[in-house]
Amino acid sequence: MTHIIITTLVLASALPHAYAVQKPPVNPGAKVLLDFKERVDKYVELRKKADDSAPPLKKTDDAAELRAAQQALAERIGAARTPAKQGEIFTPEIAAYFRKLVRPELKETGTKGAVRDDNPAGMPFQVNGPYPSKEALSTMPPNVLASLPRLPKDIEYRFVGKHLILRDVRANLIIDYIPNALN
Amino acid sequence: MQPCPALRLRLMTALALAAGLLGAAAAQDLALPNRPDSLKFAIIGDSGTGSDSQYRVAQQLLAARQKFPYEFVLMMGDNLYSGSGSKDYQKKFEKPYQPLLDSGMKFYAALGNHDNPDERNYKPFNMSGQRYYTFKPKAGVRIFALDSNYMDPPQVQWLEKELTASGSDWKICFFHHPLYSSGMHGDESLPLRAQLEPLFLKHGVDVVFAGHEHFYERIKPQKGIYYFVSGGAAKLREGDVNKTNLTAKSFDTGYHFMLIEITKDALHFQAISDQGKTVDSGTLPRVSDQEKKKFATP
Repeated sequence: MTHIIITTLVLASALPHAYAVQKPPVNPGAKVLLDFKERVDKYVELRKKADDSAPPLKKTDDAAELRAAQQALAERIGAARTPAKQGEIFTPEIAAYFRKLVRPELKETGTKGAVRDDNPAGMPFQVNGPYPSKEALSTMPPNVLASLPRLPKDIEYRFVGKHLILRDVRANLIIDYIPNALN
Repeated sequence: MQPCPALRLRLMTALALAAGLLGAAAAQDLALPNRPDSLKFAIIGDSGTGSDSQYRVAQQLLAARQKFPYEFVLMMGDNLYSGSGSKDYQKKFEKPYQPLLDSGMKFYAALGNHDNPDERNYKPFNMSGQRYYTFKPKAGVRIFALDSNYMDPPQVQWLEKELTASGSDWKICFFHHPLYSSGMHGDESLPLRAQLEPLFLKHGVDVVFAGHEHFYERIKPQKGIYYFVSGGAAKLREGDVNKTNLTAKSFDTGYHFMLIEITKDALHFQAISDQGKTVDSGTLPRVSDQEKKKFATP
């Protein structure tokens, strides 16, 4: 009986240590995703400030008003971000992680074809510059979008050729891009 | 007294339009029941080129209204190709459909891959400032406009919620990319189909209209759902329908638009070319809820 009690006590004292050792590992991507989220949030904060300095765009039947509001917002954001360069949001670590997320999805039947359909490959673009209004927007297949982190309202992912861009929909501005994400 | 040259020009233009309309209306034979209590609407897809073909289809669309008083027009996307400045809106939308717009006709747009998402704030597109939206044009019918170019998880969740709430209404979805087609984009639809079709089946969607492919195709019913491809209101990819066992009827040698009539138990359709010829027409019975459930079961 004494033997059983001692064995039980020894096992019980070992338990906390065992639990500490078996603690589930931290998701290696979580840190990268958090970093991405913070960088995007910072951009959204900057856009909000640019937004607040002008009257809000309302629905209109005057197309000229739409264009003027979009350009004015783009100019205010552009000025506030200067100088902006590739990698400010998509750091090398984030870009590598995103490529890993997207790669298996691109192997799904029809996915690459959908992305390439009317994809404006070869279109020159730059960070903090406008998305050329005459160009089509690549289709983003649902499985690719589901694999990527969710974005705040009116920020979106698109492909330009093989590059994955981050686009501000309201300002029609290219925020950043990952080169050759479609490989 | 002679009218001034500008006035004379406007008079001549009006006369030419009237003569054109009379000719166009005479050329069209209505193949729809045209019941007083039905829901009537028209469909144009890939319309925003500003080309002669767009204006010809627009004239036929206007002429059709003399015989078939449709209440609104659904736009399948690519509403404005190659730019969205104010001149683009004028040339590719306001001018070709001006007589309809002047008469108070409502257009409801979906976004295509050539559209600037900012079009959602353009009032005449009736998108309520949203990339995707729903409206109920008549008791018993609900229409869902989706953005198939960017089908992200929030949109899918929204659709599921709205479909659930729509109860026993006719459920009509429209968006740019077809889930089924026999054209060059057929295979590209697989990821979108994998996402949307289970939802459509689960919630009993009745009919789906899309564009993107620049022709007309009526698809044989797929798991109890009717699909139409109508992307030739200004663009044409001649001979692009590679007839498969999907095709019930196709037309890829001319431009076209569609007229739709919904009664309690059936959908009536007519596709009309830019020459005023009927290229397809018919009646599709509404699939019962019981039958739909069979398809929804995995």
